[in-house]
Amino acid sequence: MEAEAARRITAPVHATGPEGPWHAVREGLARRGNASVFTTWGEWLPAVLADPVLRPLLGRDWPRYRQTADPVLRYRFVASRLAVKYTAAAALGTSPAQLDLAYKIGGRPYLRGFDQIDLSLTHTDDLIAVGISRTGRIGIDTEPVDRRLSFDLLQDQVCTPAERDTLAALPEAEQTAGMLRLWTLKEAYTKALGQGLRLDFSSFGFATGSSGDTGLLAPDGTPAAHGEWVFGTYPVLGRYLVSIACHDTGLDTSRDTAAATMLDEGFMAMVSGLIRTENPVPEP
Amino acid sequence: MTKELIHATMATTQIHAERIAGRAAEETDALRRAARLEALLGDPYDPANPHGLRALFAADERHEPPAATERLLVEAGLGAEFVPAEFGGRLTRADLLVKVLRPVFRRDLALGFGAGITSLFATSAVWAAGTPAQRRTTADLLLAGGRASIVHHELAHSNAILRDEFTARPRPGGGFTLAGRKDVIINAAVSGTYVVYARTDPARTPLSHSVLLLEPGELTAAISALPRVFTAGMRGNLFSGLRFTDCDIPADALVGRMGEGVALALRTYQVNRCVIAATAVAAAGTVLHSAVRAATTGRSRPIARRLHKPLAGVFADLLACDSMATVALRALSLLPDRTHILAAAVKYVVPDLLRESLEELAGVLGSHGYEHGTPEYGALDKLSRDLPVAGLGHAGTAACQAVIVPQLRTLAESAWFRDAEPPPELFRSGAGLPRLDYRLLGIAGGGDFLAASLDGAAARLAEVRNVGGQLAVLADLAEAFVDELRALREQCRAIPPGAAALADPAWCVLSDRYSLVLAAAAILATWEGQDGSEPFLAAPAWAVLALTRIGGRLGIPLPELPEDCRAQVLDELVRRYRTGLSYDLDSTELAQ
Repeated sequence: MEAEAARRITAPVHATGPEGPWHAVREGLARRGNASVFTTWGEWLPAVLADPVLRPLLGRDWPRYRQTADPVLRYRFVASRLAVKYTAAAALGTSPAQLDLAYKIGGRPYLRGFDQIDLSLTHTDDLIAVGISRTGRIGIDTEPVDRRLSFDLLQDQVCTPAERDTLAALPEAEQTAGMLRLWTLKEAYTKALGQGLRLDFSSFGFATGSSGDTGLLAPDGTPAAHGEWVFGTYPVLGRYLVSIACHDTGLDTSRDTAAATMLDEGFMAMVSGLIRTENPVPEP
Repeated sequence: MTKELIHATMATTQIHAERIAGRAAEETDALRRAARLEALLGDPYDPANPHGLRALFAADERHEPPAATERLLVEAGLGAEFVPAEFGGRLTRADLLVKVLRPVFRRDLALGFGAGITSLFATSAVWAAGTPAQRRTTADLLLAGGRASIVHHELAHSNAILRDEFTARPRPGGGFTLAGRKDVIINAAVSGTYVVYARTDPARTPLSHSVLLLEPGELTAAISALPRVFTAGMRGNLFSGLRFTDCDIPADALVGRMGEGVALALRTYQVNRCVIAATAVAAAGTVLHSAVRAATTGRSRPIARRLHKPLAGVFADLLACDSMATVALRALSLLPDRTHILAAAVKYVVPDLLRESLEELAGVLGSHGYEHGTPEYGALDKLSRDLPVAGLGHAGTAACQAVIVPQLRTLAESAWFRDAEPPPELFRSGAGLPRLDYRLLGIAGGGDFLAASLDGAAARLAEVRNVGGQLAVLADLAEAFVDELRALREQCRAIPPGAAALADPAWCVLSDRYSLVLAAAAILATWEGQDGSEPFLAAPAWAVLALTRIGGRLGIPLPELPEDCRAQVLDELVRRYRTGLSYDLDSTELAQ
């Protein structure tokens, strides 16, 4: 399974601000169908403070930005939205300000009008991580590696019976590390489904080995999917754990995700031609 | 009483008389055929039923078509449903076709595609533009239980199903030389006819493709069948490839005129788009059924509070999807020259909403969702895999945007807030309609009847806003969507005109928002079109909840959802679950 995640998930890359490296995002997206970046909000501060077009960049998130009084929360919020837009813009070949970051009913962010890319966003402390995919849903979650999730207190809420059995047999330190890994994986999967914490964490599970790779399991530990899902967990900056859940609908989607090429030329030309005949509009 | 107020301006005795007459004929007959299919297919949850969900899920698990059920559908004469009545079949209207097909789709979307509607997708070009001889042979094939395969041309951002295309070089003296390879064609190995959208001109123009009708049996060794391709979704369906090596094609294989391929695709796809959306609603209803089962089984107390929102919300979304699809299906008959944009918007919105519905229901089903293959709970797993194939993913939605985007400026400049409302029978279930005629379907222009209907509905609701309660909220919602349409008009006008500016990504954002406004318009029109015979649909609760959710997706300011709305929708959902009724506008009795 370890090779499976390495083959199918692009490991997260560090974006140090608006400069990217976006070529790595484009390459990962073309090759494996997904890519993710992590960054810290401080790295976006110069862009936030200097950019005169912050309002169009934030779009419908602008009021929320203006209404956030706490400067740290405010800058983290704007940095996370910029990170999403720059990452998505790299995939679509547009400028970040041309994209409308919208939210589905359950809160899942998406790019209005551009369904060639699914995306997910997570942050904790000063870390922000963004995942994008062209093969299906993607979910990303991060936690500080030193966050202690007590197995004793949380096992009923978080673990399936199969996970409980395995973790119970481990020494305490490994138990805690295992809990954190499971937590981020479960968050990543539920975020991929757009459900966040509304999904019961004990109703689905993962292999409890220490490696990042696992398939989706039913509560009794049997496989719960047909290989459409792949999961990976990555240490980041030495301080964080990032987990990624990637879905593949199996449609073998186009490697080209550019906005400029998505509208079929033949259809557009035929419809435009007829419209012009019906309603002549002077060309500028 | 308030409903009567609103409807008083619209109701006429003439429409009533037409409605009775209309239903008496074609609709009654279609409903009878639907009921017969439902009865033939039997109780989906009976594990011993050879056409039940257990058998259908098991065939999918084996990557095989459900042979016994496919045979049953052939014996029941399903093929005739795809042949227009004037050519000897039973196809009279697209909305009635969907009613007949829903029993199949409630059980298995992939079966409905593989043994059903893909033959219509293929042959529709023949119904639209074929010669009498082509229509006769095509009709004979489908009436005898044969299948037809559509061989798509390559579209922008193609996935496996839309990738690659065939080239047909015109031969001196007539006919064509066909060459090329395409790997993923549904039913390529079993179809009696291929309808090929082949490139006949290397230039990149709208006249680059032509449609060819091929009978594999008559072709030479220059055609070779490629191996079956296994897919993650619709696992039991037979996808395989074809290769033509300089294959001679007679001149009379041409359907319509040379270079008419793109136009025929635009003309016929609009029917496909509405049919796919409306039948997918039926398939999603089965997952909703399993979610209500999970929420109620073994529980004497009411449904857990945390499940109210997803259950009622998904039910409202299914009704929203059905409203949008049904309006478009009926418009194909009534306003055939101007349904193209709505059809594209339907296909753009509905599969996306349904995919979200499935994800929301995953949270209700919990670990039951992993009981794959069981009739009680296996539908989520299967439909989650099948639905992306049905919707064709991004390439499918982008093809719809390519129809909407070039028309937005014209709509903003000359249609919105100007066009007249459509005839009210468009929205009245049971009202008679003209027959579907593929030859009459327009592919651009004609204004925007549904935007006009939104504006009209908002004005009528404003007059009864002082009644208060849910009706006042409905009036506020209608106004919010009118405001959104007004904002869209300004933004569409702000983008410079001209073909080059169509590449501006802003158009894709606007077409998304516009499509959601049309969804809202369809919900309001469907609610207004109720005659009171279905008290739940005539009450505002479902429309308020559905509009609130569409508005949430748009991110527009919305009134607060009245507390009793969700409870009323949930009550109806549970009532339908307990009495065995479908989760769509028709509230059809299900086999038990």
